[in-house]
Amino acid sequence: MQVKAKLYPKEAARLLREHPGVREAVTGATLHFEANRKRAYQEIDAEIWRERARRVKDHLLTHLDHYLELAEKRLQEKGVRVYWAEGPEEAHRILREIVARHGVKRAVKAKSMLTEELGVNPLLESLGVEVYETDLGEYLIQLLGEPPSHIVGPAIHLALSDIQRLFHGRFGTPLDASPEALAAVARKVLREAFLTADLGISGANFLVAETGTLALMENEGNIRLSTSLPRVHVAFVGIEKLLPRFADLALFLPLTARAATGQRLSTYVSLIQGPAKEGEEGPKEVHVVLVDHGRTTLLHDPEAWEVLRCLRCGACLNACPVYRQTGGHPYGYVYSGPIGAVLDPGLLGLEDTYPLPYASTLCGACYEACPVKIPIPKLLLTWRKRAVERGLAPTWERGAIQAFSKVMQSPSLYRFFSKALRGLPLPQDLLPLLKAWTEGRGPLRPSPKPFHQLWQELKE
Amino acid sequence: MDAKSRILSRIRHALKGMPKALLPEHPHPALAQDPAELFLKRLAENGAEGHLVDKEGARKLLADLAQGLPGAAYGKGVPDAFRLLPELPPEEAPLGVSRALFAVAETGTVALSSEDGRRVQLLPPVHLVLVEEEKVYPSLLEAFLDLKSFPSAIGLHSGPSKSADIGQVMVKGVHGPGRLVVAVLQGSW
Repeated sequence: MQVKAKLYPKEAARLLREHPGVREAVTGATLHFEANRKRAYQEIDAEIWRERARRVKDHLLTHLDHYLELAEKRLQEKGVRVYWAEGPEEAHRILREIVARHGVKRAVKAKSMLTEELGVNPLLESLGVEVYETDLGEYLIQLLGEPPSHIVGPAIHLALSDIQRLFHGRFGTPLDASPEALAAVARKVLREAFLTADLGISGANFLVAETGTLALMENEGNIRLSTSLPRVHVAFVGIEKLLPRFADLALFLPLTARAATGQRLSTYVSLIQGPAKEGEEGPKEVHVVLVDHGRTTLLHDPEAWEVLRCLRCGACLNACPVYRQTGGHPYGYVYSGPIGAVLDPGLLGLEDTYPLPYASTLCGACYEACPVKIPIPKLLLTWRKRAVERGLAPTWERGAIQAFSKVMQSPSLYRFFSKALRGLPLPQDLLPLLKAWTEGRGPLRPSPKPFHQLWQELKE
Repeated sequence: MDAKSRILSRIRHALKGMPKALLPEHPHPALAQDPAELFLKRLAENGAEGHLVDKEGARKLLADLAQGLPGAAYGKGVPDAFRLLPELPPEEAPLGVSRALFAVAETGTVALSSEDGRRVQLLPPVHLVLVEEEKVYPSLLEAFLDLKSFPSAIGLHSGPSKSADIGQVMVKGVHGPGRLVVAVLQGSW
């Protein structure tokens, strides 16, 4: 996927200006998810669950070489073909060979963030393969030609009216069609695709090293269908997605579900051990591609590696007051919100992503939500510090922060500037740092009275 | 060097000198009261229907579901006594009947094996699952620790297929069955 993270501030401002409905849709959906997560955490001893999950993942990551080799061995014993890929180039070569060998014409895809990283859909299309995203939300954004806006709810930014218009143009449904009617249309198209596809493509929530089990979570049934009906199944798995023991799933499956959607368990979990046995329904071939794509670089980073614990549940996005304003698109890469702001610089390098760690108020809500206790606020500061050290932050910023800090520490200076600034006509268009704000907005108007005075008056 | 050796060598290099984290033990499962009762409660909360029945009760349940239907699809493990309707392929059947490997009370989950047949679990709009009462585990952990044989795929189903991707409105039966009915069987078959 093309990386446009450098444009974050501009794109965020543009989206808010040009598509004000997105804020409403995203805020509504994320507050709903967030309330469900809180309720689901309250039902359990969330602190004990999260701490245990953190420790299992830390163990896994500090023994990653051992568990990767074990997983490969167990998968191969069950007749699964295992490949290793550094990034998109090798992943594409592997997929191209499978497509050619099986004469694949049609593929059904289960939602996977890693395949977004790798650009699997454009590759398949270039090979003449018809690709169907089968998660309902992912299908909607595929029809619109957009990337996902949220890790769990890819179409979170769309209002019902957007989808009614889309389906009206595409399938001739009435403009006031109900969600049930729209879903029925999508179900019909996709059911046909499931029954006729030669290839099913998925990611994986977990890969258990001890047993070579792929675990996939969902609510619609499209992952079960994508991994059951076509004769070939290819799963792309990030190397950090492993778990040591099968019984670890008893912690990680419900914890992920509670964090992501507030459910006790997702409606469907697929536990895949290998290709179908003789006389059994299911794919005759299962291929697993283990993908690095920046993960080993992160493992090398003693200050930032903890982000590799991430389960991709999206809980931090739902908790984030900054993400809530725009959804994921302005972040300019697959992973958005708080996790994107600390994962993207690690995967892609800070040079291409430096505005993202600033897309936060550092309120800490993301850490409270995270099921594996990734210290996101601390990592945001780590990346900001590096951005300053490497000269990526704008040069005026250092001076401005130093001046601000001086003024804030001295009551007399504070009073002086507060008075002076209110008295001056604001040179809004002359200051380049204000342009991102003033563009498309009315002028900044200072309050006639200083805050201290208002506070005094309020108290009286 | 191939990709595998390059990736593994980078990992080993990164881990050199890094303190190794210990793997925590699994927690002790809590003592459950009546797993079947909790299972039925959780199923209902998940939007599914559960019934605690004997063999006759299960046949009656099936007969009620089958009313007016031309046929049903059956999992391989479904005993003849429960095949009340003519068999149809899962793509056409309005009802699928499966036999579960086990069930889990705390999450309201039935575990379905690929050996029983995958299509019957996924394609018909209504899915009836049979499970013996003694196979209802109190917790996921107990069920997973007890699992000895691994079929090529296990599906954990905890309710009807659903999605809120269209305008945040919950819709049932998006891809999988829109209705899940579970018969927990008491006594012998």
